Formats: sequence, C-alpha cells, structure tokens
Amino acid sequence: MLQLQFTKDTLPDSVINDFQNLNKFNEQQFTSLTEILFNFLLEPKEADRFLHQLSEFAGENGMSAGPLRNLMKSLLLLPHGSLKKNLTEDQVKEDLLTLGVSEDKADHFSQQWSLHYPVLSRLAVGQTLMVNQLVDMEWKFGVTVGTSELQKVGNTFLQLKLVIRKGNSTENVYMELTLPQFYNFLHEMERAKASMDCFS
Amino acid sequence: MSTHYHEWEKAPSKDAVRQLCADSFPSGAPESWRLAESTAGTLSVSAIEAKELIAALHTLSHHILFHNLTAPEQILVLFPKSFHPSLKNLITKIMLEHSPPWRNEALSNQISLPHLVEMDWRVDMKTASDSVSRMAVPTCLVHMKVEDSSCLRGSGALSSVTVELSKETLDTMLDGLGRIRDQLSVVAGK
Repeated sequence: MLQLQFTKDTLPDSVINDFQNLNKFNEQQFTSLTEILFNFLLEPKEADRFLHQLSEFAGENGMSAGPLRNLMKSLLLLPHGSLKKNLTEDQVKEDLLTLGVSEDKADHFSQQWSLHYPVLSRLAVGQTLMVNQLVDMEWKFGVTVGTSELQKVGNTFLQLKLVIRKGNSTENVYMELTLPQFYNFLHEMERAKASMDCFS
Repeated sequence: MSTHYHEWEKAPSKDAVRQLCADSFPSGAPESWRLAESTAGTLSVSAIEAKELIAALHTLSHHILFHNLTAPEQILVLFPKSFHPSLKNLITKIMLEHSPPWRNEALSNQISLPHLVEMDWRVDMKTASDSVSRMAVPTCLVHMKVEDSSCLRGSGALSSVTVELSKETLDTMLDGLGRIRDQLSVVAGK
C-alpha cells in the first residue's frame, strides 16, 4: 500500500504502471509532455487541443496515441488531487518518488507545479459553487415627465436589471428604485465591500 | 355640476360634503353602487342621482389633480356661474386641502417596474469546497425584497431574490453604481 498525499484511495496497478512508464521518456520528451499537461490544466475547456497535442506527440515520437492518452489520464490524477489538498512542491515531489518516478523527472514536475500553482488554485476557487451568482447588471435612470393622473411630474427614477445565473440558465430580475433608495443601496454595497476588504 | 346643484342643497353638513369629496376620489368610486346608495341616503336623493353626483365630483377632483391647480381662483372658474357661492367655496377649499395627499397617492400608485422594498447583505468566508479542501475566499450575499409585479400595488405581495457576488463582481457593481451617482450629481447640478 503506497502512502500518498494527493489521494487516500488505493491506486489501481495500471495507474502505478503508467507513472513508472514516465521514466521511459527522455528529458526532452518529458518536458514536452509536462508542458502539454499544464497547458490543459490551465485551460481545462481546451480538451480538443489537449488530445490533438497528444496525438501529435505520439506521432513525432513513434508511439500509439491510445496508450499515451491513458498514461496522461493517470498522470492528471496527481495535479487534481494535489490542488484539492493544497500540496506544496516538496509534497508533490515526494509522491512522485513514492510512485517510482525518477528523481530528476519528479524535480521537474514539482517545479512546474509550484510555478503554475497560483493560477491553478485561483481557477479551482473560481469553480467553487456559487448560488444565484450575479452575472451582469444593467441600469438606466430617467425622469418621469407626466402620468395619466398628473400632467407634470419630474421625479427621477432608477431601473436596474440583474442577470442571475440559476443552474445552467440565467434569469433577469427587474426593479425600480427611488433616489433615496439608490443612495441607500450604494451605501450598503460600500459597507459590504469594506467588510470583504477586511478579509483580503 | 350644475345639474346636481339641487342635490347639494340637501347636504346635511360640511362634514358630509367633505366626506363625499374624499369618497368620490378613488378610481373605483364612480362605479360603486354601494357608495351611490349610501350617498343617496345621506342626501335624500335617488341612487341614480347620487351616482351622477359622485361621478361629477370624481371628474372635478381628478381634473384639479392632473392640471395641478393650486390657486382657489383656478378652481372657482370651473363652477357654473349660478352655483351657490358658499358651497362653491367650501368644495374648493376641500379640494385644495386634499390635493397634496392625493398627489402623493397618485405618485406612489403610478406604473413602474417592481419597487425595491427591502435589501440586506451578508459577507461569508468560504473555507472549503469539493474542488479545494482549504481556502479563505470572501463572498457577498445580497437579499432583495421586490414588490411582486403580478399583484396589485400595496397588496403586500413581495418576491424575494438572493444573489451571490464575488469580490470582483462587487467591485464592478460599485463601479457602475458610482457612475450612476456621478451622473445624478451632474443632472442635479444643472
């Protein structure tokens, strides 16, 4: 039973084999593979690009794309788990060594990890659950000139449209504020910001 | 109004006149048979005649409100020349007295988008999630109570919306609100 920090699950033998197969790559190949991997981690929506780059690599290095994809799938478990557990560079290196990866490859990978960690963790935080996230706000303000009851008016009003993400779709909420209400709203939001700033 | 002069003669008191002016103002008043019947009782006239009187008063009060007539002379000219002078003065006085609250009522009842009624906020600190097991990310929750637009104004039906904002979103929102405030002060300064 391997003692790993990035996961508490028992890894299947095929996955452990995949990690050890990394040793078969030379330095240049390993560097390219690491780069392809981190490019994908930094832009997780670019799955097609990731697979395309892997196919290219397979072609250039005389190997079949299928096993290479499986190897990368296993390798991805490490940064995903490390991100979740907020692992340091040393801890990532330790895990790689435990899995049987050679020292210089473990070094290189953990250094890349450390380099990209700030961006990756911000991405992970960004994926954290948000309830009814405010996506957009539109506003207009104007003056009421007259109504059916009063020929001449002259009141200022403010209309807000809030776009809220509810699950996969968005919902629009419309509302109107009088000027005093607007100033109160602004004041409260400034207080909320001051409160948030205390924590950053 | 002149055709209903004889009904006015039977008004028992100034208070009755005052009450009638107030009762005939709301938008449903001209159609209300209940009001017509009680007025008929007070003035000892037929219900039909009472209804016509209420309609006339309603038209008068709304005309005064619409054109924002604030001087007695402006209202007195509306009456026919043969109208009883002290009754004319009394009605004018009552209409002027009621104009400010009626105007406020008209303003608050005018059509608009649902009004924001109440608003509160909370700042939370996110400490963990399924994607990151340890973090310290502040987030803001804003809860707004908005008048339900499908219900009658003043019926008290409110709908509630809670919105979550990240720090960046809140900053952007404050940016926008600040610009509104700047534009408002430019308009106010003119």
